[in-house]
Amino acid sequence: MTSTDELIARLAEDPPPPAFSPRRIAALAMASIALPAAAFLLAAGMRPALLSAWVNPLVPLKTALPLAICVLSLLTLLRLARPGARPGIAGWLLLTPVAAATVLWLGAFALLPPAERFAEVGIASVGECLGAIILLSIIPTVCILRLLREGAAMNPPLSGALVGMTAAAGAATGYSLFCTQDNPLFFVSWYGLALLVVTGAGAAFGGRVLRW
Amino acid sequence: MTSPEDPEDPLAVQLLAANAGDGQAYARFLQAVAPVLRGIVRARGRSLPPDQHEDIVQEILLAIHLKRQTWDPASPLRPWLYAIARYKVIDACRRRGIRVHLPIEDYSDVLPAEEGADPLAARDDRREVDRLLGQLDPRSAEVVRALALREEAPGDVSARLAMSPGNLRVTLHRAMKRLATFGQEDKS
Repeated sequence: MTSTDELIARLAEDPPPPAFSPRRIAALAMASIALPAAAFLLAAGMRPALLSAWVNPLVPLKTALPLAICVLSLLTLLRLARPGARPGIAGWLLLTPVAAATVLWLGAFALLPPAERFAEVGIASVGECLGAIILLSIIPTVCILRLLREGAAMNPPLSGALVGMTAAAGAATGYSLFCTQDNPLFFVSWYGLALLVVTGAGAAFGGRVLRW
Repeated sequence: MTSPEDPEDPLAVQLLAANAGDGQAYARFLQAVAPVLRGIVRARGRSLPPDQHEDIVQEILLAIHLKRQTWDPASPLRPWLYAIARYKVIDACRRRGIRVHLPIEDYSDVLPAEEGADPLAARDDRREVDRLLGQLDPRSAEVVRALALREEAPGDVSARLAMSPGNLRVTLHRAMKRLATFGQEDKS
């Protein structure tokens, strides 16, 4: 009996593993995003007159675009958790909210008079926005990275980046209900920067944590 | 789910049964997969020394074992299997690639005779064993001490360390391999 045969005999004695359930991971991931965001909204409160603010069609986009990024990137990372799987439609659809945000930014830049373009930018407003989204991303990033170890990511940095993107986009979705900055030049820029920071951190951690 | 997407593939049928708890089907699956893996390692691992090919086959088998639940019975088995094999071959190349490998036969007349091959048997000296085990993580080191040095019953060890018997075996297997490489590095 060769050592490979012995290894096979030993491995075959193991009880079968618990099933890999993307659905369970998705549910827990969403909970890890929603709980910190809900706690933040309970403590800080939603913006006043949220619904009447949504009369301006640009304002609901502030919530809808990150929500779309969050869901699509979660679907993509779950697909990529199985060896040999392709990113699928969700991976390509991920480009649409990103493209929409770019168009929104360019459109606002072209339409707004120069003095109003970056009128809201200040250390306090930008710091609040970046800080809140990044802080709200920490718990979901850690939780989803842990959950994803049940799978087998073939490209750990890529999967880690998608984890960061899912977490930050989910955090931004929650934060957008509090945020009163309705200028697309403001929210696309700073939500986008927060998203990039957390995505980069996710790629760096994922490269280590998701190896197997 | 009772039948895989591709009932033509006997491997898919076996792994489906294995993941449902059929250990014999699982043994047959791994036995059937091993020669396929040998072929892949030979074809893709040209830069790797042939005497390490079987080690890499075993690493792939372990990876398949640890990730066997990630195969989706609704999709074909082969792409999943080949993806794991590719990942592990690349991993093996990356880890071994840096080390220059020279066939030992060319130097047999210049090198003094080795004292022994087994990393632990050759080093009965307690301090030496402690030093080697110190390079492992504490849990693996304890597994090696308990199973390989004190020869305790695996059941007791797995209860004491709160590890499943399977996890224990895999840990021991990996730890012994790492010890073997530490031993080689020390000598070179």
